[in-house]
Amino acid sequence: MSSRRSSRGAISDEEINELISKLQSLLPNSRRRGSSQASTTKLLKETCNYIKSLHREVDDLSDRLSDLMSTMDHNSPGAEIVRSILRS
Amino acid sequence: MARCGGDVSRHRKADLETVENLCQGLLDDVMLDDDKCRAMFGYLQEWPDLASMCHSASLGDPPLAPEASNGSGSSGGGGSFRKRRPDSCLEAKVRDLCIGCVTGLAAASRQLRLAEYLTDVCVCGKNFCQGESNSVCKRPRGKQQPCDPDQMVAVVGKGKRAGAKKKAELALPKDSPATSESTVTAGQKTDYIHVRARRGQATDSHSLAERVRRERISERMRYLQELVPGCNKVTGKAGMLDEIINYVQSLQKQVEFLSMKIAASNPVVNFNIVEDLFSRQLSQAACNPAALAAMAPPIGQAEPSCLQMAPLQQMQTPAGCPGFGLEMIVNNNLFSLAHGGSMSAAPAVSAPAGASVESCLNNVQGAAGWDIGSQSLFSGFDAPFQSVQSDCLLDNLKMEM
Repeated sequence: MSSRRSSRGAISDEEINELISKLQSLLPNSRRRGSSQASTTKLLKETCNYIKSLHREVDDLSDRLSDLMSTMDHNSPGAEIVRSILRS
Repeated sequence: MARCGGDVSRHRKADLETVENLCQGLLDDVMLDDDKCRAMFGYLQEWPDLASMCHSASLGDPPLAPEASNGSGSSGGGGSFRKRRPDSCLEAKVRDLCIGCVTGLAAASRQLRLAEYLTDVCVCGKNFCQGESNSVCKRPRGKQQPCDPDQMVAVVGKGKRAGAKKKAELALPKDSPATSESTVTAGQKTDYIHVRARRGQATDSHSLAERVRRERISERMRYLQELVPGCNKVTGKAGMLDEIINYVQSLQKQVEFLSMKIAASNPVVNFNIVEDLFSRQLSQAACNPAALAAMAPPIGQAEPSCLQMAPLQQMQTPAGCPGFGLEMIVNNNLFSLAHGGSMSAAPAVSAPAGASVESCLNNVQGAAGWDIGSQSLFSGFDAPFQSVQSDCLLDNLKMEM
């Protein structure tokens, strides 16, 4: 993502607002219809929580994948795929 | 009748009471709104010894509204600000907390900071309430402290504060009528907010509120910075926001990818479709295509001998289907792993219900076709699925979709 800065190198407010609204759109709970202008603090807090939950989800999914691995027939093509995923 | 917070504490015992009174007065008079309460709690939690005192002080407090902060008792728990109502209970609680904290505070400098902070906060709160745009620092006449607390503050609090600025501010109060000054007693209200400004910063309410808000934001940004790897190298809000956005997007993709792969790799389950399992029920229920599609093993397990569930209606190649319903299905033990069974239902499929099934089968793309023979089931999924009944199976099918 290109960082857009004004010529002086200072970051303008609009850029920040743009970034913030973009972040807001990423969050799962953001109301799309006439998206309310969430206060930045709330938004940042939401982001924190969301990132943490994403972390947890990734860990959980990885665990499940590895469990799945262990139950599968070791030589099946499926297992191979799973192994490759876990490796990546 | 808020008092000027600047009159707080020197490093003497007497000041303890002063600060205490100050806090009490401040909190009494001011209607702290949501944000300020939150900020104050956050601020208070920053100090570990404060936090323990807060805890003890909070025990005797009037019960808060359920959504009121739970942070009051917890040390260092800064982040969990729930929704709050600036009701009187909360104010009372905050008040007691502050008083409790203040009395316990050993370091005068901390008292000072607390009082400052309170002042700031209260300023904002009160000004919001009253719409006062200019708050000038006025020294309450009623207080014992003469001029030099301010100067003391200047020295103690922020290291050589702008004494000049203070004095300029101080000059004003001398002119202004005493009535507008605070009175020490907690009963009266004035129109003015007394605040001691930091060096080089404006004193009007908006900028103070702004300052509080900015501090909160930067605190959150710092926290985010810890969460997001690689944020340390970037400084400045925009860069960090950039990083954060990228990171969130990549996490989302990762989650999506992983879950898709899990779903995809799950239906390495091949099961025997028994006639009475499906033929009847398939015809009755509009078997959800998604559910069925999900069951098809997208991973190239297209062994001809395997029975693959094909979507009843036309759908995309099962192989491509991420099997969104799959996980739920699998988890619900949809698959009845009839053992080894020579469930030769081959003729059955084409039998009673068969017509609909057949046509659908023909529409399936990429499915290996129905082969209802005695197929050994994948051992991996034997155990969980054994007890599934047929109606249970279909019910789940219906439910999932």
